[in-house]
Amino acid sequence: MVAYMTLGYPNVNDFYEFVDNVEDFGVDILEIGIPPKYAKYDGPVIRKTYKIVSNNIRNYYEILHEVKERIKIPVVILTYLEEYVDKLGDFLLKLKESRVDGVLLPDLLIDYVDEYEKYVNLIKNEGIKTVLFTAPLMPDDLIIKASKLTDLFLYYGVRPTTGVVIPISIDSLINRIRTMVQSKLIVGFGLNSIEDIKKAMSVGADGIAVGTSLIEEVDKNGVNGALELIRKLRGVLDEYY
Amino acid sequence: MVNSFDIIPKYWYNIIPDLPKPLPPPRDPQDAEFSRIDLLRKILPKEVLRQEFTIERFVKIPDEVRDRYINIGRPTPLIRARRLEEYLKTPARIYFKYEGATPTGSHKINTAIPQAYFAANEGVSHVTTETGAGQWGTAVALAASMYDLESTIFMVRVSYEHKPMRRTIMELYGAKVHASPTDLTEFGRKILKENSRHPGSLGIAMSEAIEYALENNYRYLVGSVLDVVILHQSIIGMESINQLEAIGEEPDTIIGCVGGGSNFGGFTYPFIGTKKGKKYIAVGSSEVPKFSKGKYEYDFPDSAGLLPLVKMITLGKDFIPPPIYSGGLRYHGVAPTLSLLVKEKVIEWREYTEEEIYNSAKIFMKTQGIIPAPESAHAIKAAIDEALEAKKTDDKKVILVNVSGHGLLDLSNYESMKNRVMKK
Repeated sequence: MVAYMTLGYPNVNDFYEFVDNVEDFGVDILEIGIPPKYAKYDGPVIRKTYKIVSNNIRNYYEILHEVKERIKIPVVILTYLEEYVDKLGDFLLKLKESRVDGVLLPDLLIDYVDEYEKYVNLIKNEGIKTVLFTAPLMPDDLIIKASKLTDLFLYYGVRPTTGVVIPISIDSLINRIRTMVQSKLIVGFGLNSIEDIKKAMSVGADGIAVGTSLIEEVDKNGVNGALELIRKLRGVLDEYY
Repeated sequence: MVNSFDIIPKYWYNIIPDLPKPLPPPRDPQDAEFSRIDLLRKILPKEVLRQEFTIERFVKIPDEVRDRYINIGRPTPLIRARRLEEYLKTPARIYFKYEGATPTGSHKINTAIPQAYFAANEGVSHVTTETGAGQWGTAVALAASMYDLESTIFMVRVSYEHKPMRRTIMELYGAKVHASPTDLTEFGRKILKENSRHPGSLGIAMSEAIEYALENNYRYLVGSVLDVVILHQSIIGMESINQLEAIGEEPDTIIGCVGGGSNFGGFTYPFIGTKKGKKYIAVGSSEVPKFSKGKYEYDFPDSAGLLPLVKMITLGKDFIPPPIYSGGLRYHGVAPTLSLLVKEKVIEWREYTEEEIYNSAKIFMKTQGIIPAPESAHAIKAAIDEALEAKKTDDKKVILVNVSGHGLLDLSNYESMKNRVMKK
């Protein structure tokens, strides 16, 4: 299971408490969002967290560094290439110094599809793992190529925007990609009902990524609420391993 | 030949999985106060929304929808334009698909029917939409009546006043038609407060239709731009494939006009997807020079900015078109899938002036007896040009053109066009 949390949300202390506990509650990989100026493919819930965090926190890398001190599971950064495209070297260096494991850029195969291999190489040359983000709207051959380049897992976002529940046939979307790719397949982006998760797992997903629903839990019931949700979802996933 | 279940295609065709590059997804604008994508969820029938985001190559047409397609006279005729060929003295064979042969006179009804069906199927009693010139509103009014739904149409005030016949048709089908801006919505009331004689715009009418649907828990039917509209319009192309096969013809050049891109996409995509045909030509208007002057970027499909941003060839949502004859071609953008295919050079484009298409329309009227919609006359002009080009090289190729609607309700447009052309 991949759990998402926006860096330093809802405040730095609560964020650390979340980080300290995720592994025990069953998370395999922690995904941390660095607020961009324009969260193109995020829904309103995550966009709101970006706004709060970017108003309150100055130094993101210090916190990332601290996160790596606290946990052993891999940490993957989620942010938009658009934000760093002109200063990518500098950004990658900072990530490397923070010792994060990987980076996921949801806009890489959409807005930079003509030169994505160049960026993938730049990231890998810094010793940082690249998690590629794919979506149903991508043509078959691009998904296959991406699955061969991706590290850790292939992230498959099944809805156009995180956290917005559009009625789609999750099983047919995953069936299509499962027959094409050998890599580990993590399904996310607006997958938040138990039924959705069961569907995804039963047709061959290797795991799920949750984000929006964790943030909603943090807002309602604090960090403990989010951790409890992780425990519950872990239980659902474990039925399929 | 009696229309029957056998001839109507069983599936719509979706080009998404066959595109050469990923289709950029719809987005919410930066600093959005509310999610436009989430808004779609609240206003569109569920199945319409599911189909908007489907990646299935073929989507089954419900039997109830196929039944209504028969009811409006599908399959529409595929006619060989022999008199036009003779007039041009071309060795090419010209076929046209005639979407003007439906009761509402254009292709719009092809998506109004499934959208109304999906709304009725989820227990909704009432649908809303906006209309400018009246084509789309008419299609929704008829489709709604077919499934015993009530319909409320927000018609741009200037059109409401200048096109009373369109309004009458919608009302005869049972729709409630309001001149937008109205006092039925908060948005309309705000506009009226600033200017009680506001002429209205498509953007305002759309905002009103969406707000009215949201307020009353009705469903909103969408007329253009979204991929699901092109999916439904693919009935035109799927049917044409069957009809051509029946007479043993293979098309070489396939032509359609482009307003938002739904009739063009619906007509050509099934051919592109099954690799039938060699050349596809999208035809726009020189007065609305989207293909030659538009940029490929994220923009709002509607002028009010209520729908999600989509990446398309666009003149900008605030583009003010000149008051040309072809209302349907005044739209500022080109549907995302079509934009991508034009950018990737799978599809060629042409743009013609009012004068050029007026003359082509006249040739078509004289030789085939049909008064084409001025929009469709653009496609006809391209077909004539292609046929004349074939004459030079004695090329016996097959040209297939979509006549998306008739022009019998556009006579005043033809009248004003004639006056302008004569003056030159």
